Amino acid sequence: MQTVGRTRTHFLIRAWTAFVVLAIYLPIACGALAGLSKGRYFAFPIRIFSTEWWGKTWDSFEIHVLVQNSVLIALIVTVLSVLFAFFGALAFARYPWKGRRAFQRLLLLPIFFPQPVLGLALLLWFNALGISPTWKTAVVAHLVWIVPVVTLVIAIQVFSFDPVLEEAASDLGASRLFTLRTVTLPILWPGIWSGALFAFLLSWGNFPLSLYTAGADSTIPKWLYSKMVAGYTPMVPALGTMSTLTAAALLLGGGLVRFLLRRRAELRAREG
Amino acid sequence: MSSVAASALSDSSAVSKTPRPVLQLVDVRKVFDGFAAVDGISLDIEEGEFVTIVGPSGSGKTTLLRMLAGLESPSEGYITLRGELINDVPSNRRPTCLVFQSLALFPHMTVGDNIEFPLRVRKMAPEERRKRALELMAKVRLPEDYYSKNVMLCSGGEKQRVALARAFAYDPDVLFFDEPLSALDYKLKKLLEKELKDLHRESGKTFVYITHSLEEAMVMSDRIGVMRAGKVVQIGTPEQIYSTPADRFVAEFFGEVNVVPIRRADGGWLRRDGKPVAVAPDVSIDGDEASVVIRPEYMRFVTEEAGADNTLTGTIFNEYSLGSRLQYQVRSRTGRTFLIEVPRAAAWKGNGEVTIGWDAGNAIVVGG
Repeated sequence: MQTVGRTRTHFLIRAWTAFVVLAIYLPIACGALAGLSKGRYFAFPIRIFSTEWWGKTWDSFEIHVLVQNSVLIALIVTVLSVLFAFFGALAFARYPWKGRRAFQRLLLLPIFFPQPVLGLALLLWFNALGISPTWKTAVVAHLVWIVPVVTLVIAIQVFSFDPVLEEAASDLGASRLFTLRTVTLPILWPGIWSGALFAFLLSWGNFPLSLYTAGADSTIPKWLYSKMVAGYTPMVPALGTMSTLTAAALLLGGGLVRFLLRRRAELRAREG
Repeated sequence: MSSVAASALSDSSAVSKTPRPVLQLVDVRKVFDGFAAVDGISLDIEEGEFVTIVGPSGSGKTTLLRMLAGLESPSEGYITLRGELINDVPSNRRPTCLVFQSLALFPHMTVGDNIEFPLRVRKMAPEERRKRALELMAKVRLPEDYYSKNVMLCSGGEKQRVALARAFAYDPDVLFFDEPLSALDYKLKKLLEKELKDLHRESGKTFVYITHSLEEAMVMSDRIGVMRAGKVVQIGTPEQIYSTPADRFVAEFFGEVNVVPIRRADGGWLRRDGKPVAVAPDVSIDGDEASVVIRPEYMRFVTEEAGADNTLTGTIFNEYSLGSRLQYQVRSRTGRTFLIEVPRAAAWKGNGEVTIGWDAGNAIVVGG
């Protein structure tokens, strides 16, 4: 009776897992396959397979510029938003001050603001200030939306940080800077890392804000969209697949580096 | 401005004594939002002394300690360390170290890294740091292989030892302790109390300890200060505090006691029930109201053979075994409850009504 029940539970768990994996990866697989089609149009089943579009995508100057733009924007946004968010999170999660709650709420508001409207509003502002939109204005637009998100992510870590540790460090003779470097930052690293990851991904994949505020400069999502709307080529799925594979490679690489670092630390500890 | 005050302070012969105190507090006050957490404390702490400040929660003892450690600055008054005013000297520039109630060990570091932290601040070379850390670990009885252990995987007692070793690594003139033993179980607490006392003796450093536990204070201290509502009500040796409490609060704070309110009448003293009370001849109380404080072990059963200076009758309604001793709760006719503690051999055999009493010489009379 019980084993039958357990077998059934196991079966259901496996079936569900398989379904989820399928639901997530089937579309990606379809995209990947579409990029490998020789035909010009998006159609299944694929008649003839070819790496032609992959090659074209890889060699395209236009795509190079796109990737450069997207990477540059995402990197700058990541660095700046982590910097702003770190101090912002410290400010509201760590120190009591008047208006702290209001600050917390105000900070959350842009997240709920529809992005196309936010993008349009920012574009109007840039025009009013006489700034012509380029990828630099897109960075500003991304920051408006991403800093609050990253602040929240880092704040979660800051909330669990015990300020007594800083007092203890000071009591043991450490300066503020030394304490920040050896106590506060190392303990908050996990939060800062996840914040950075969020910032990069949100910027990398952002379409509505870039659409309005990047002006003539294009980013990968912007280009993908424009090609979908008019002038589809299999370079669209090819580029999509490439970026997915790059992300997977980065994740695997990061995991490997962490694994190696941990092993080195363990070895050193054992020797020591 | 403050340095002028400091030199005026150290010049004043009224406060200087020999040996000169390590720490001196003069009328120290700390006010938070109009509430005086510490309300005018003056205190001298001598070199190498083990002073414990006891008091119930909210009495201001932690605030006092935080001011001494430099984590708060006083609103009024002076704190001097070896004659130098340190009111506004930040904690990282004071030769003092605080062992926090939560211990505040750095969770991302190993035991060794925790202990070496103050040495790293001083830029000591790594090999030298390691050597010193291992010495300190031996001193606080931590096994050597704990050096590279994750500090969060240590037990409560081990963490305690790490915190102690870390404080000693800083090599402070004065060590402060904010109830570091309060989270431990009884047996371990007893053990660590003794070890702390030993460490104090060996190191010759000045210890200032804070606790709400009378027992802890009695075991370890050279002197005990009792705090209440931001003030030090009494300071003295454990013996002085125990045998001659300054008032009813101190007496009651130091364990279970029987309190009998009395009032002055015709040169003598009367109980509430109108019976005269015999008090020791050396008792001198200013007001007309006072309390007689009798510890349970000084109460006894009164029989025809063995009388007492003061007696009262009541009924036993509870009996507790304390191991070698027995404790009884006796309810008097006026409805008050008395505690009486006797050796097991002197257990009460009878039933119902009992007469209990105490001798004037064994009771303490305090004002109020």
